[in-house]
Formats: sequence, C-alpha cells, structure tokens
Amino acid sequence: MRSDGLDLRIEDLTVVYGGVTALDTVNITVPPGGFVTVLGANGAGKTTLVRSITSLLYLHKGRVRRGGITLGGESILGRKSPDIVKAGVAQVPEGRKLFPNLTVKENLLCGAASRSDIDGIDESLEQNLELFPQLRPLLSQTAGLLSGGEQQMVAVGRALMSQPALLICDELSLGLAPKIVHRLFELLTEINETRGTSILVIEQNASLALQHAADAYVLELGRVLIEGTADELRGNPMVQELYLGGGGEAHTSYAAIERPGSRPDAHGSRPPVAES
Amino acid sequence: MLLAFGNFTADPSVNLQLLIGGLALGAIYAVVALGFVLVYKSTDVLNLAHGEFLMLGAYFALTFLISENLNFFLGVFVLLLVMLVFGLLVHYGIMRRMVGQGFFAIVLITLGIATIIRALLLIFYGPTERARLDLLPQGSFEVGGATVRYVDLIIFGVVAACVLLFFIFFKYTRLGLHMRAVADDIEAAAAMGIDPDKVYAMTWAAAMVMAGVGGLLFGHVTGAIDRSIEAIGLRAFPAAVVGGLTSLGGSIVGGLVVGVIEQFANGHLGTKWREPVAFSVMFVVLLVRPTGLWGRKDLERV
Repeated sequence: MRSDGLDLRIEDLTVVYGGVTALDTVNITVPPGGFVTVLGANGAGKTTLVRSITSLLYLHKGRVRRGGITLGGESILGRKSPDIVKAGVAQVPEGRKLFPNLTVKENLLCGAASRSDIDGIDESLEQNLELFPQLRPLLSQTAGLLSGGEQQMVAVGRALMSQPALLICDELSLGLAPKIVHRLFELLTEINETRGTSILVIEQNASLALQHAADAYVLELGRVLIEGTADELRGNPMVQELYLGGGGEAHTSYAAIERPGSRPDAHGSRPPVAES
Repeated sequence: MLLAFGNFTADPSVNLQLLIGGLALGAIYAVVALGFVLVYKSTDVLNLAHGEFLMLGAYFALTFLISENLNFFLGVFVLLLVMLVFGLLVHYGIMRRMVGQGFFAIVLITLGIATIIRALLLIFYGPTERARLDLLPQGSFEVGGATVRYVDLIIFGVVAACVLLFFIFFKYTRLGLHMRAVADDIEAAAAMGIDPDKVYAMTWAAAMVMAGVGGLLFGHVTGAIDRSIEAIGLRAFPAAVVGGLTSLGGSIVGGLVVGVIEQFANGHLGTKWREPVAFSVMFVVLLVRPTGLWGRKDLERV
C-alpha cells in the first residue's frame, strides 16, 4: 500500500467553457497527507475544479486557459486521465456515477483499472470489504439497484481500489441521509490518518466538511473568496452567515441554510441542472 | 386474403425446408447483428457502415483465399488481421475525432464511411468482379425430405462459437469489463483510469474482425461476390433491433427469428414480401417493446 499522500498544487488556474469563465486564477494547495475542503454553492466552479485536476474537461468542451496543476511536484495538467489516475489521483464523482449495469464487485474492480498487480487488487478488494462490511453480501448485485447510501459506499470503495495518493470526493453528502454522511466522513478521516492519503473534499455541506478538514477554501463564482484553516473559517462571520446558517451552530443539512441568489436544495434531491 | 397472393402450402417437408433455410439466413443476420450490437453497446454509435464492413470482408476473402490462393487457415488469419487493422484505422482516423459530438453527427459520419468503402471497392475491384467463394464443403444431406447444406451447419457452428467467445470475453476479462464500464458511463470510466480511447479502438477492431468472419461466411451462401453484398447491412438491421441493440444474445435470437420469418414470407407469399414482412416485424416489436426483445434500459437510480 502507498503510505504517503502526495501534495496537490493548483496555481493560477483559469478554465473556460466556450467564452464563459468557470474558474478565474484559482490557487488551492493540498499538503501531503492533508485534508482540505472546498466549499461553495452551485455554479461556484467546484465540479470544474475536479474536472480540471482529472483531465475530464474535454468531455464538456472546457479547457484550461492558464495556470498549472502539480501532484507531488510533477505537472499533471493536460495529461490523459488514465495517466493521472496512475499518478495517484482517484475520485468519487458527484452523483456517485457508478456503472449501473455492472455488479458491485465489477464496479470495485473498475476502480483498479490503472493497476496491473492482480494479487494486490484482490487484497485491496478485501480491504474495501473490511471497510464496508455491508457490501460483502451485495457483491454480485447490480449496482444500479442499490440504495443511495450503499451506492456511495461502492463509489468510495471503487476510488480506493487504485490506492490513491490523493482522494477527491465531489459532493459526497448529496442526497444522502445525515447519518450515512457522518459515517462516510469519519471513514475519510480514518483513511487520511491511517493511510496518509491526501484528501480533497468538495462540499456544499459546509459544517460537516469543516469539522473534518484541516484547511478550507470558499469558492464563489469561480474565484477563491476565503481561505484558511477550518477553525478560522468556522469563526469567520461571513462563512457563518453564508454557509453555516448564521449562528455558528453546526447544521447537518444544507437545506436549512437560506441564502439569496442560491438554489436551496431540498435535502435528498439533486440539483436540476448539472453544474458546469 | 393476403395468402391468396402467395402459394401457401401446408406440406411439412416444404415448411421444414423453409425453416432450415430461415435458420441458415438467420445465422448470417446474427453475425451482422452482433457487429451492430458490439459497436452500439460499447461506443453508443449506430454504425450504418456495418454492411459495407462485411462487403470489405467478403472482397478481402476473395483476394486472399481465391486470387492469392493462400492456404485456408493462413488466408483466414491474414483476412482477419487486415480487417483488424482497418478497424483501428476507422477509429484512429475518423471516429476518435467524433467522441463527444452529437449522436446524429456520428451516425452521418458512419454513412460517410459506408460511401467511401463502397467507392474504394468499386475503384479497386471494378463493377463486375464476380467470383465464388467455395472453400467450405459444398455438399448437403437430407433430413425429413428437406436438404441441409454443410455450409449452413458450419455457419451455425461459427456463430455459436463467436457468441460464446464474446460472452466469455465480456464477462471474464479485464478489457471486457472495461468495455462494459465505458458503455455504462464513459466519464466515470475515464475517471477510474480506463482509457475510453483504447476501448473504442478495440471495439472497432473487433467489429471489423466480426465483419471479416461474416463476409467470409456470407460469401459462401450468396453464390458470387459482387456489390449487392452491402445490402446485408440493411437487411440484418431488423434482426439487431428485434433482439435489442444492446444484447449480444438478443442479436442472435433476433437474427434467427427474422431469418425464419423472412424465409416463410419468401416461400409462402413470394420474394417481394420478404423485406416488408421483416421490417413489419421490427415495427411491431418496437411498438410493444421499444428497447427490443432483450435490450435493456440502463438501470439508473439517483
């Protein structure tokens, strides 16, 4: 198993879709073995950030206009997505994005696509089943028929199958019961601490993410609006007002937060339009 | 009333003969449908050039096995190898640039490929080239008053072997798994480190090789290789749709069903009824089950 997480450095990143700027001179750093969260509402550019790191912008006709992305000191910007996975980046995509017609086991095995050590893959599979014992009886189930919580476990497990040095989770909490989300975040912390995997969590659920992350960034309309340690952000009046519901009290649901100009998502529903 | 147009007969040996002929034809349709399904399932492309792929296979079979007079197994090997290279050419030369473009733009591109293949074959082989493929055993035997050709049995065997091979490939190999993953969700697959580009290239190569097998087999039952072979693509289309464009097994059953129905329409109603009846069956199936008999809608629960 890879024991050291790698650091991710995003420098002056500007991304456009056609003529529309989705990210504007964004600087974000995940230290080696760090746990960082990027907060922001719909349309802030969070998913674009993930696509930029994993080189999937081309599927959405987006492109990087300026800036750089390095992992462990090596540039990964513009490399093909299989190479980026091989370099150590794994992701839990927004909306889970399991392969609905494949079984749970096949989904997990797809996560190991970048590896060629067959014995090691079996070992990782077993590790995942120890992490998520609920999945063991479901291995031959078709993934599309699982509950949302089970699907998210498969999605996290699938990402871990590549033994990543950096794990990116995009909207882990979306559409899931608070109890399951809490459990998943605890697991991320455990993975971060025991395996040393660097973790980047993209979230709308600010209070939960700030409980677990060490550093945090707030993205708004494609720019980094606020950055600091998670404690600093929790104490920041603007963050409290916009993302923590005013009182500084931890909310587990984003639905409780009202904010002019944002789409208040009802808990358990997906946003009607895919963020770009 | 309809039957009055034809020469309906209840003679069991005639009907048995039609059934056998239908299954033989259906096996050919199945090979073609398998090619359609393979590409559609993996790359989401409705490949209207598959009939032309098959034509290419038949002409190359003619070149390597008859004109060059290679040893049968060597000739087949060379044929399939050349087809594989052409498949890669189709992907890397053309289809690769179309990934992410609209469905209809891509379908039109395949129509363009079909036209180019037809034109190239016309240029290099001329309009009148007519020769026979006669490398498989030509005899036949009698069953219950009906004639069964050895060729038909061989075709059956080859089709069954291809289906089995595909099944094993998709279910038990890593590349097969990755192909199914890309078919389910290309972006998620890419995010997992699967290279969709490689998967697509393999798909086109496999479809071309299947067309090589199909061309070789079909060349043995049409009598002579000429430009009319391309029509097999359109004629096998109902088979692929009836079976469901996403099901490999369905394409086999669809092929056999449509083949038998066509032969009965041919025998009892006359040749001109063959295609209208086949397409009517397709329409009825589509009305009742829009995904075809064995096609499935993607399971998705969000």
